[in-house]
Amino acid sequence: MFSSTRRAALRGTISAVVLMAVQGGFTVAAQAEGVHDTLNGLIAKYSEQAKQEMSNKSVSELFEKDGFRDYLDVYPVGELAEGFVWKPGMGATFTGPYSKLEIKSPFTDYIPLAEGPVLDPNKTYKIGFVFHGFNHPWLISLADTAAWEAARHPNVEIEVIDAEFDDNKMGQVIDTWVAKKYDGIVLWPSREAPMGPPVDRAIDAGIPVVSVDRRTSSEKISSEVLGNFYANGLQEGLYLKEVLQGGNIVLNRKDLGSTADSIRTGAFLEVIGNVDGFNIQGNYHTNSQRQLAFQSTADALQAFNDISVSFNTGGEEAMGALDAIREAKRLNSAPDGKKIVILANDDAKEVLKEITDGNIDMVSPYTPLIGDIGIRAVIKHIGAKEGLNEAPPKLIMTPNLPMITKTKMTIEGVETMTPDEWPYAYGPAVN
Amino acid sequence: MTIAERASARPLAVSGILKDPILWLLVSIVIVGAATSPHYLSELNIQNLLRNAALVGLLATGMSIVLITGRIDLSIAANMVFATIIGVVVTAWIGREFDVRWIVRGNTFVGSPVVFIAVSIMTGVAIGIVNGIGVAYLKVASFIMTLVSLTALRGMGYLATNGAPFYLKGETFNWLGDAVLLGVPVSFALFIILVAVTHFFLTCTTTGGRLYAIGGNETATLYSGIKTKRYIVTAFALSGFFATVAGLVFTARLKSVEAALAQGYELTAIAIAVIGGVALGGGTGSLWRVLLAAVTFAAGLNLLAIWGVPTWYQNLAIGAVLVLAVAMARFQYKSQH
Repeated sequence: MFSSTRRAALRGTISAVVLMAVQGGFTVAAQAEGVHDTLNGLIAKYSEQAKQEMSNKSVSELFEKDGFRDYLDVYPVGELAEGFVWKPGMGATFTGPYSKLEIKSPFTDYIPLAEGPVLDPNKTYKIGFVFHGFNHPWLISLADTAAWEAARHPNVEIEVIDAEFDDNKMGQVIDTWVAKKYDGIVLWPSREAPMGPPVDRAIDAGIPVVSVDRRTSSEKISSEVLGNFYANGLQEGLYLKEVLQGGNIVLNRKDLGSTADSIRTGAFLEVIGNVDGFNIQGNYHTNSQRQLAFQSTADALQAFNDISVSFNTGGEEAMGALDAIREAKRLNSAPDGKKIVILANDDAKEVLKEITDGNIDMVSPYTPLIGDIGIRAVIKHIGAKEGLNEAPPKLIMTPNLPMITKTKMTIEGVETMTPDEWPYAYGPAVN
Repeated sequence: MTIAERASARPLAVSGILKDPILWLLVSIVIVGAATSPHYLSELNIQNLLRNAALVGLLATGMSIVLITGRIDLSIAANMVFATIIGVVVTAWIGREFDVRWIVRGNTFVGSPVVFIAVSIMTGVAIGIVNGIGVAYLKVASFIMTLVSLTALRGMGYLATNGAPFYLKGETFNWLGDAVLLGVPVSFALFIILVAVTHFFLTCTTTGGRLYAIGGNETATLYSGIKTKRYIVTAFALSGFFATVAGLVFTARLKSVEAALAQGYELTAIAIAVIGGVALGGGTGSLWRVLLAAVTFAAGLNLLAIWGVPTWYQNLAIGAVLVLAVAMARFQYKSQH
């Protein structure tokens, strides 16, 4: 069974990173080995550097205060399952069952499952998919991909439930599915801790459970389809280091303690931790809410007249920050009349439009189009239980995706993509 | 007969229960559930249902006591989470004072459950007392006072935890959250015992009668020489107690506690209290009916979940039942007076 933690990845990749750096062959190597491994190499490099020293006092103080090391050290970074190599352009196109939007899903060839009946064709397999947020474009897209994958198999029935950001309700939904003797469960947990016990109860009842994107505290869980938070924060740092060597940064972060905040912000700070010119000027938790990000950025703009960088852990935060900056007419108010650099995550179509328009500077894609991987993984676990196939690995890493910038750039071996080259953006189109 | 006498003298008669529309609603839900799903009456599902009833029922019981006095406690769900957080933090601190490490790797709490439960309950009751003092002595409207508490407790919860969860490990949590006694979950058995004791307190003691009297006509109660303020504080303290017990049951099931949990549960508590016939204006309400309402509420939600009904339809159903319950209560009240 494949198992990998960040420490294991460090051991495995650091030697390759050093070798490639010495050879000066990063760009070529990146194309050959895939962006996933290149970014994992850079994660290893900057993590190691940050462990040895973080010379920037402002950055290191925040890094210590919020305990980022504890989170980063246990977040898995590793190889893709079954030797999969992802390349831009891969994936299927379909209309999302819930959003009714056209979707190009990047990873439909990952842990592949042929269309048609699965496992025992004479049986119907019931799978529960529970998540939070039919009111959030990212999460609707997640549900879209899960429902699409289930619909490809006529003997798979899926029940999709929105637990409305209530962890207890999600636990109750899982308990109900256990009582109904479902064949498999896929979940998108909002928080790790409370979802461990319900997952354990399902596993104890013999039902395979797969989490997508975020993790649970269960050690028994069948598989975890993990996102690429580490590569997100890393690339925000890489881009910033490429375009600026100093300046004041305002952070719009997600909920304190959430995986998305801990890993993205932590990885970003690791990259800039040894660049002495940066200063953390403002640090806000805006909890994925555009309005809160707008308010915090507006407050920061009132308080400081020399902001150079707006770092955002999500697309909603970036849009809120941009709105505040535009409303204050401060887009070009960084020192020396330069533009405030706006860094974002989540490749929503509206974020990409702002990149095209030159307002947001970069985005690290964090695709919600991974629900299908969860469904395929749980079907394979059901098959393994019935002795029909091998079980997929416990940790299923999703491929790291390259950052998107207005114009093509190559930063430390990572070739960026432009909005025009990126077909995987989610959410409603923006004119 | 005074309002207090009328309320406290209401006996638990079998004939009265059989006339209760909530009971018939519960029976209908169970019959429909049994007829439409082979899983509805399974032992596992009934246990799930009763655990959920215990959680929302404990909250609703605390809420009902405050509603009976003509006040409201919006901080009940925030208190439920905050009290258990403080239980962990203070117990861990006590452990450190005695050179014992009760928070181990991964923010896992392994401390003394007795100390944890005692500190949690003291915290919850203390918060209730503060709310009560604010309402009774400082004359702050209960809606405002407890709304402020809700916000403050949520914020302080984040400060106390730094946003990170505490994992709760130990046999006590397993027992409280998962164990069953004669087929009944421990949490539900605890709920029934506490409702029985509190029902006795409300209906058979002078203090209980005065809580009803305050809700029925506070001015008259005051003019009859009763020091109403201390009783209002008592009601909020009891609400804090029930919130904490709900928190212990809740966190024992999830085996963890963190600041962001149970957002909006105060509204569920109000809904169940109202479905149970507790008047928002105060003066009337029976905890047995609240218990029945909690079980009915959980049974209804469970049936919808068994059917695979999306949650937004479930919310719609809750709203519809709430309106129906209020209308029926109003109709019954008119027909009796």
